Amino acid sequence: MDVPPLRTAVTILVGFGAMMSLAAGMTLVERRLSAFIQERYGPNRVGPFGLLQPLADLIKFVFKEELLPAGANPVLFKLAPALAAIPAMLTFAAIPFGFYDGRPIVVADMEIGVLYILAIGSLGVYGIILGGWASNNKYSLLGGLRASAQMVSYELSLVLSLVAVLAVTGDMNLSRIVLAQDSLWNVFTQPLACLVFLVTMFAETNRHPFDFAECEPELVGGFHTEYSGMRFALFFLGEYIAMVVMAALMAVLFFGGCDVPFLAIADTPWWAGALAMLAKTGFFLVLYVWVRWTLPRFRYDQLMWLGWRVLLPLSLLNLAVTGAWLALSGPAGPGGAH
Amino acid sequence: MRHTRRLSPAERLFLPAIARGLAITLRAIFRPRFTRQYPEEPIPVTPVTRGQPRLVQFEDGSPACVSCGLCEYACPAYAITIDGGETDRFIEREPKRFEIDMLRCILCGFCEEACPKDAIFMSQELEMAAATREDHILGLDRLLRPRAEFAERMEYVRGIHERWKDPSALQRRAHERWTEQARRKEQEEAAGSAGGQT
Repeated sequence: MDVPPLRTAVTILVGFGAMMSLAAGMTLVERRLSAFIQERYGPNRVGPFGLLQPLADLIKFVFKEELLPAGANPVLFKLAPALAAIPAMLTFAAIPFGFYDGRPIVVADMEIGVLYILAIGSLGVYGIILGGWASNNKYSLLGGLRASAQMVSYELSLVLSLVAVLAVTGDMNLSRIVLAQDSLWNVFTQPLACLVFLVTMFAETNRHPFDFAECEPELVGGFHTEYSGMRFALFFLGEYIAMVVMAALMAVLFFGGCDVPFLAIADTPWWAGALAMLAKTGFFLVLYVWVRWTLPRFRYDQLMWLGWRVLLPLSLLNLAVTGAWLALSGPAGPGGAH
Repeated sequence: MRHTRRLSPAERLFLPAIARGLAITLRAIFRPRFTRQYPEEPIPVTPVTRGQPRLVQFEDGSPACVSCGLCEYACPAYAITIDGGETDRFIEREPKRFEIDMLRCILCGFCEEACPKDAIFMSQELEMAAATREDHILGLDRLLRPRAEFAERMEYVRGIHERWKDPSALQRRAHERWTEQARRKEQEEAAGSAGGQT
């Protein structure tokens, strides 16, 4: 992999810009769509259709005072937002957005893409736990604790649902997983895994109906109760980037990524592929908001019940069935299921 | 006692219910909005609207106010300040200074009720933003409005209270009140002198 440094720098810059615009756009989409569902308009004053609202939000965040609560652990308190945002940003690097001239449009085309996203992505919870603990506030601590408990119970099902997909594809490289779905999307071969992933993806990003880490009626603001200004914005940013990454992962793993239906990936112009990928990601991002205003928040014991007694057996069953089917359907060597 | 109902296995899947819920929220997106886009869509006003108080101005440019001070007296928020003066016109008196402090005004409309000369009315003007406190103190120059603007409001105000429809009844009641007061005062004086003797 001999890539000139300048090219690497440009790739990172473009990737970072795309990620930030997606996350910023998502904050606007969330606010507008929430408003629409409640028969309101939402922020529509800053720029045409409120398009500059994220910029206005950013300016506000930057100029807000950052408070340090008495009795808080200053080092961890200041470190936690970065710990929450950086892993989310890092995972974005492995998401392929299409193919240009046969090469994947991606910041880092890794052989262990799926593993990398899961490994780095689960680090994000440390930021939330540390932020909750360092705040010296009972609500923050409870929020952090809940986040960790939730992560443990849902990450397991998430990974197990993905293992079945990886077994079918026989590859961990995300762009090759996309190529393998050229003829048939994984959602059709692995509907159960897709369902489990769909549910766990909400829990993984601490979103409604599983947003126990920041459940307002019970915990004030949860782990970010004591945070203000840019530190709060970093938590916020981390959450939105994680949402973007999970939505993109959903599109890549189950809905063929940049694959336009009824069109071979090799024949698709690169922009059409990227657009298809963006549309799929966008749909799942919208789904986040849509579900948020449709479902009530779970009770905490229901959350645990769903994680351990429904999703985990379901994903295990799916894995067993997939494994048996792969073993019986013919000799499939390592990395050669198809 | 259980208040919950056992769900059937099909219901325990929850997925159909979730899909129905999503359909409901999706329909909500396309329903018309409740929000009023305020500066573009102004608040509807009617003669009943009790906006900021304004003074009536005759066609010759002079104020209808004779600076009797009744509105000043009626004002519960002490928002009105009047300096009266002589004038050569037939009505003989007019305000030299008439100020309403809109930071004090509570828009109660008592001034309107108190005015015997149809000179002050609650207008349909609702917006009262200003950059400084001084800008909120409105003088004659900013209070006077042509009499025609208040035509509907005048008609409405005269219909509010029965007593305003029959001025003679008003006078009759005032007379009754006056005699009642005088009688009470006499009684009190009588009782007071009686108490002093013992």
